[in-house]
Amino acid sequence: MSNVVLETENLEKVYELGRRKINALSEVNLRINKGDFISIMGPSGSGKTTLLNMLGCLDRPTKGKVILDDVDVTKVPEKSLCKFRKYKIGFIFQTFNLLPYLSAIENVELPMEGTKKSKSERRKRAHELLEIVGLSTREEHKPLRLSAGEQQRVAIARALANNPAIILADEPTGNLDIKTMFEIVRLLGRLNVTQETTIIMVTHDSHVAARAGRMLFLSDGKLLKKERKGMHLVKGDLTCPNCHKEIQPDDDFCRRCGKQL
Amino acid sequence: MVIIALGFSMAIMISIPAGILASQESYNSIISNMQEETNRTATLIEVSTSSGRGGFSGMPSGTSSGTPPFGFEREEVFINETIVGEIRTIEGIKDIVEFFETSSEETTSETISTPRGDFTMSRPVYTIMGVSLNSSLIDSYSVLPTDIIVGRNLQEGDTGVVLITSNITDYYEVGLGDEIEIYGESFTIVGIYEPESESSTASREVYMSISDAQIITGNTGNVSRLDVYAENDSYVEEIADVIETYSEAYDLGLYVTTYNDRMETYQTMLNNAESTLSQTQTVAFQEIVIAIGATSLIVLFTMLYTVRERTKEIGVLKAIGFSKGNVMSQFMLEGIMISLIAGVVGVVIGIVGAPLISSLLLPSVNQLSPQQGGFSGQAINFGTALSQSVTVSPDLQTVLLAFGAVVLLGAIGSLYPAWRASRTSPMEALRYE
Ligand SMILES: Nc1ncnc2c1ncn2[C@@H]1O[C@H](COP(=O)(O)OP(=O)(O)OP(=O)(O)O)[C@@H](O)[C@H]1O
Ligand SMILES: [Mg+2]
Repeated sequence: MSNVVLETENLEKVYELGRRKINALSEVNLRINKGDFISIMGPSGSGKTTLLNMLGCLDRPTKGKVILDDVDVTKVPEKSLCKFRKYKIGFIFQTFNLLPYLSAIENVELPMEGTKKSKSERRKRAHELLEIVGLSTREEHKPLRLSAGEQQRVAIARALANNPAIILADEPTGNLDIKTMFEIVRLLGRLNVTQETTIIMVTHDSHVAARAGRMLFLSDGKLLKKERKGMHLVKGDLTCPNCHKEIQPDDDFCRRCGKQL
Repeated sequence: MVIIALGFSMAIMISIPAGILASQESYNSIISNMQEETNRTATLIEVSTSSGRGGFSGMPSGTSSGTPPFGFEREEVFINETIVGEIRTIEGIKDIVEFFETSSEETTSETISTPRGDFTMSRPVYTIMGVSLNSSLIDSYSVLPTDIIVGRNLQEGDTGVVLITSNITDYYEVGLGDEIEIYGESFTIVGIYEPESESSTASREVYMSISDAQIITGNTGNVSRLDVYAENDSYVEEIADVIETYSEAYDLGLYVTTYNDRMETYQTMLNNAESTLSQTQTVAFQEIVIAIGATSLIVLFTMLYTVRERTKEIGVLKAIGFSKGNVMSQFMLEGIMISLIAGVVGVVIGIVGAPLISSLLLPSVNQLSPQQGGFSGQAINFGTALSQSVTVSPDLQTVLLAFGAVVLLGAIGSLYPAWRASRTSPMEALRYE
């Protein structure tokens, strides 16, 4: 087994609007290792969302391969694609996209619907996840009764529900104020370390992007050669969700309040 | 909103069959009543001097001046007892019951609204029914009223006593045992009975012995109606023929009505009822088709709207791994839920509102119990058979059927929207705001 979880080969996407052709993506070669925390930056219209859609099996590329856990998903028939979306990928959106009539915990349980897990197992898992994102006291709240940051935490818990190989986040902090923005990035960073979740995060904000381990740049549908190292795992980035004391990436318990991490 | 609308269309589905059933029942009761009546009177030949009962005269009142006098005076013609004696000799006659019927001396004013204006007319306060109080006749034929409220019925040998309808006691403020003056003579009230209808003036009646009635009106030896009973029905036509020939020969102006004549009248009424019924059924069928169409269209549009409104949600569901089938069943379920709730609402509206709804939508249901009991002769109480009111109450089966129909239609109506939802591209849907 290789350490590569996601790989693209000469990925190309052309949108056709009438006679006009838009090269949304071209020659994208990407290799993402298990446990990576990657941020993608680029100007508006550069194809970031398009790329995430390809990686997340929401859309098919015009050309090229997307290899997810050793399977070329571009060859997977439409019928089975939903299985990949369900078990391999977790999506986080800029606008959270929680179902408004479901409570926080029900939203988290939603992706587990139709899995082998029993009802009580699902509830238990959702419970755990909400605890991980620091929302155990908000389980029964409807999304409208939650702050934006809290909603995004629920969305993150939902994305983690089926233990996906990779989390795709399209501007997850785009709708948040600066303080919450960093809270969310920190949470993603912590999950990356503690849950060993592979994360790809699209963002416009260079400070947010810098919190990742690798920073990629997209311009006009092309991946730039230059790639930067982020400051992920720099001291101070990880704090206990309970008492906000600084914690070490491999700590299992908070050293101040003893909370399980 | 949607639920109420659906509830109503379901209520319609409940009410209409209920209305139809009720009409059917009233139709059946009409038929069985007719059958009973015709069987009972198969040997009866009615002989009378006029085809209608009672008479009134009046002058127009109000604004419409210049119109010719409204109303008419009935000239009272009687059958002389010598003629009765002649009739009695006809072969095959078993019994003859004599009646003397006339109007009260006193009259009362009554206002009648017509399209040409209001007319005030005077009509008799009550009708006097003189009957032969011969016990063998009383026992064998329907001579006297049966619905006695207080007191007793008339019996053989009674004289100077009357049996009256309860609406007369109100009019004159008299009661059982009181005296009442009729054509200048004093009569004792020995019994009070239930009138055919409480409100109608025409239903005020006073029963007395035929001889009393003849004497006070100065008509000794005259009768107004004969019920001639044949030995058996094979004699009926013969007897009627003889009486008619006799009447023509002596210019007596007698009206002779037999079982067959009545059968014709029955038949026309039956046909009327039948055509009303079939009309009602046609209307009902159309309305049910409309209700069914409306139900599925309401669900269809509601669900289409829902699917459109929630495009983004569908995109999210798909992005987190819902399959086409999952999305489809999700929306089907919602459509069915809506119709289930609507079904419950509909059952409530339907059960409470069935009489109102069916009378609004099936105007002819009420026409099935017409006041067209314009059948001459008192021996045959046809009016009662027809005036039985139609009661519309939905039965369990109809309610369950309509409930099932609404849910099924809900499922059908949400099929296309759910299919649309399942085909939404998640990528497009997520862009949708
Ligand atoms: N469904 C589509 N049909 C046609 N053109 C599209 C479609 N989706 C995206 N595009 C085009 O592809 C290009 C890349 O779009 P994309 O949404 O990936 O940009 P982006 O980098 O996510 O921008 P932003 O930062 O504003 O979200 C744009 O020029 C866009 O107009
Ligand atoms: Mg975008």
